Amino acid sequence: MPSQAEALALAEKALGFVQGADQASVSVTYEDENYARFADNYVPENLNSIQTTINLTYVRDKHVGTAIGNDQSDAGLRRLVAAAADVTGRVPANPEFVSLATPARISKPVKSVYESTLAATPEDRVAKLVPVIARMKRSQLTAAGFTQTQYSITAVANSLGVRASFAATYGGIEIKAMAPQTSGFAEYFTRDYATLDSAERADLAASKATVSRTPSDHPPGTYTVILEPPAFVDCMNNLLAAMEAGGVLENQNSWMVGRVGKQLFSTNLTVVDDWSNPLVAGQPFAADGAPTKKVSLIENGVPKAYVSSTYLANKLKIANTGHDGYPINAVVMPGSKTREQLIASVERGILVSRSWYTRLVDPREVVITGLTRDGVYLIEDGNLVRTLKNFRFYTSMLAALSDCEFGDTLYLAESTDTPGTLAVPVAKIAKFAFSAQTSFA
Amino acid sequence: MFRASFASSEIKQQCKDNSTQNLRRSSNMSKQFAGAAAQVLDRASAAGAHYADVQFWTIRAQRMFVRNGVVRQVTDRTSTGYSVRALVDGSWGFAGSDKFSKPGLDETALRSTRIAKSSTVIAGRVRGVKPTGKHVAEWTTPIVIDPDSVSLSARADHLIAAEKNLHADKSVVAGYAFMTFWITDKEFYSTNGGAISQRLYQSGAGCGATAIGKDQDPQRRSGPGDFGLYQGGGYEIVQRADLLANASRYGEEVVQLTAAPVLPTKTCDLILHGNVLNLQMHESIGHPLELDRSLGWEANFSGISWVKPDDVGKVRYGSDHLTIYADNTLERGMATVAVDDEGVEPKRVTLIERGILRAFLSSRDTAAQTSLPETASMRAQDWASIPIVRMTNIALAPGAGSLDSIIADTKDGVIMEAINSWSIDDHRLNFQFGPQIAWEIRDGKRGKLFKKPTYTGITPQFWGSLDRVAGPEEVVVWGTPNCGKGEPAQSGRTTHACSHARFRNVSVGVRNRA
Repeated sequence: MPSQAEALALAEKALGFVQGADQASVSVTYEDENYARFADNYVPENLNSIQTTINLTYVRDKHVGTAIGNDQSDAGLRRLVAAAADVTGRVPANPEFVSLATPARISKPVKSVYESTLAATPEDRVAKLVPVIARMKRSQLTAAGFTQTQYSITAVANSLGVRASFAATYGGIEIKAMAPQTSGFAEYFTRDYATLDSAERADLAASKATVSRTPSDHPPGTYTVILEPPAFVDCMNNLLAAMEAGGVLENQNSWMVGRVGKQLFSTNLTVVDDWSNPLVAGQPFAADGAPTKKVSLIENGVPKAYVSSTYLANKLKIANTGHDGYPINAVVMPGSKTREQLIASVERGILVSRSWYTRLVDPREVVITGLTRDGVYLIEDGNLVRTLKNFRFYTSMLAALSDCEFGDTLYLAESTDTPGTLAVPVAKIAKFAFSAQTSFA
Repeated sequence: MFRASFASSEIKQQCKDNSTQNLRRSSNMSKQFAGAAAQVLDRASAAGAHYADVQFWTIRAQRMFVRNGVVRQVTDRTSTGYSVRALVDGSWGFAGSDKFSKPGLDETALRSTRIAKSSTVIAGRVRGVKPTGKHVAEWTTPIVIDPDSVSLSARADHLIAAEKNLHADKSVVAGYAFMTFWITDKEFYSTNGGAISQRLYQSGAGCGATAIGKDQDPQRRSGPGDFGLYQGGGYEIVQRADLLANASRYGEEVVQLTAAPVLPTKTCDLILHGNVLNLQMHESIGHPLELDRSLGWEANFSGISWVKPDDVGKVRYGSDHLTIYADNTLERGMATVAVDDEGVEPKRVTLIERGILRAFLSSRDTAAQTSLPETASMRAQDWASIPIVRMTNIALAPGAGSLDSIIADTKDGVIMEAINSWSIDDHRLNFQFGPQIAWEIRDGKRGKLFKKPTYTGITPQFWGSLDRVAGPEEVVVWGTPNCGKGEPAQSGRTTHACSHARFRNVSVGVRNRA
């Protein structure tokens, strides 16, 4: 893999080949991705891919065209420039276009590259899985999931003087432990692969799978729920997806329309988009090189702001927060109680480990539907008493988050339905509606 | 619905407009990567691979997107790379790369073999199956109009005109129209002597609008299909999408939706237009019949299946009206190929016969674990992605009669069109779909219009209630361009050919919302 400086040099070289444009921008992305995937207690898929992407935008008289390629040779870069210029010359002018990103100070990123992740070998990844499989066999369980490590570099150069680059490592594990009629789940994501204790995660997944041997029926209805981070992240993503200028000002179908500044949620809910949070350790600039600002999205239950891109900020004459259409660095601020204290505070309710296929049904009220999976438990008098079969939920997140509180620890949690990885705590929601129960756990 | 919307003179003008815009790709199907392939396969074999294959890809993707009269996005993407699969002691290793230098080829071959060896530490119950047979072929998707023969300016004019038709009145706050083309050249080589080159053409186009009425409740209407009409072929797919006429209809209907009531809760007959039915097939038949899911290989992410290999020939999946087949030779299918991404030739396989489960969608590895047939369903998103079992082309055998005849035959029901949201559990049993628009059916006639329609069901009971399927004259090959599966996630292109269908006593409308 090249260095950040080499990636930026490649972007600048491509930019240097551009002629006749009013403005131009080049971004270069390198990705080195590794996955060891396991199922049925062995490794059927194990992979690595290394790829480069060069994205070149060419602007002339408000005509805008983009060509994308992966040929890094001088001839390849020249062909890319020619392709972008060709596209630009053949499409109508875009009257909405004002400018590409202009130079602005980009803050120094927090530590985002860890040698343990960068240097992980195929053998290292499989070694992380050995204790997982051993733990499953000890309890007559089978497991499916993966462990991953990846390294990425992004560099941006444009004709207005923008220069930016960023590198990050990322790794993690997901484990689904399966008994004949029940299952349990655990995950862990980090920039530092050395901090992954796969044996501990395997133990958690296995213990969740074996709370009961047979899952119970339970009537659907509205319950107090504890949403573990892998379940809460999907619910939050449906809320966050509409916290951007396009939905609020252009399409006007966001739940935020007419509600900014109003007390809409519990005062316990505060959400910030903050790449500098050490757990997030995100990229401090957008894909076009505009600095990404820290945005207070929801403060003590009051929606405060949405994010914007350079394109929409210029068009709509609003502040450019430097986001590519989504608050990708969102952090739901933790509360003061431990996970165990939150569970103990529930007289009768349901704990949900993970959600699946969560979809937006009504954008204005953020009504979502989806399913629970891999560990749903009845809570009585503050204790997990038995495993339940899965539920379909059908609930408004605006209503749900009007009465909620949060655990005291943040976790990186990956959504199964959207590309967002959020930092979220365990959530307790007073009223969460289940519309049906499935025939299995 | 998909009649050609262009006069022939208009097509000629579009072709004439095209000048220097053309694909920068080889026009012949020669095996330009044969030398590199030999190097990779030799290196992998020398490093210990008992079998290896390598596939070289050049992917060209063009997309144009118009929003509210403005060409908002025009991209032209080309990506060239290759993937190597190595089999060592029953374990697979995969490496994808865009490094074409001699050291780069060697390094990628060695990496795939090293990865395969690392997997053998955790011994598998299922051994990797070495593909057999030497297959040599060349193949190209049949096309009528090469996308490159239609200039960007003509494409923009068409989309701008269509998008304009969406704005039936001022309540339409946003409209869009788009077209997308993928042209993929693949060369596959294996240590068994396989040498196959293919050029695949896949195209799509669609449009949609959002309207906000007095109640401030946004309504959406879009189509054709889930996200547009996607099929295997060239620019003729854009013509079949008939955006100009469809946009006018969507614009009128989205305005009507802003004043429509919500569909009430009830149990009644449900008629699904093919543009919803195809996704119902996708989610509740195609995915559960992927054999890797049924064997547990996708358990952590995409899920498993409510049917198992042992259920073949025993389980009733639906009524006698339900016959489903997999056909990766289907005309206009997005997944139609000469061979799949492990070199297997496709054939037509009956998956469900008059309601009884008969087979699964499979790869060589998964088929070998059962006595079930291979269906050439191993597909990768691109050269950087590992081939996995995919839903490819599936089709619902048509019945008889038209959609109108089904409506005329329905006393108390609802017809739903165009999908808005959909959700199904990880066993593929409990589903809830939310189309964009519905009309009540009373005494054989289409009546009142409703917004926010939903319906729910359990897969075998729902398909068990199927009692009418429209005839072959109303079959449309519906493609889905973005089927998610795998870890890391891959986006696949699938097809579901169907007409329209009626289901008895279905639960419609929402319940138990907090």
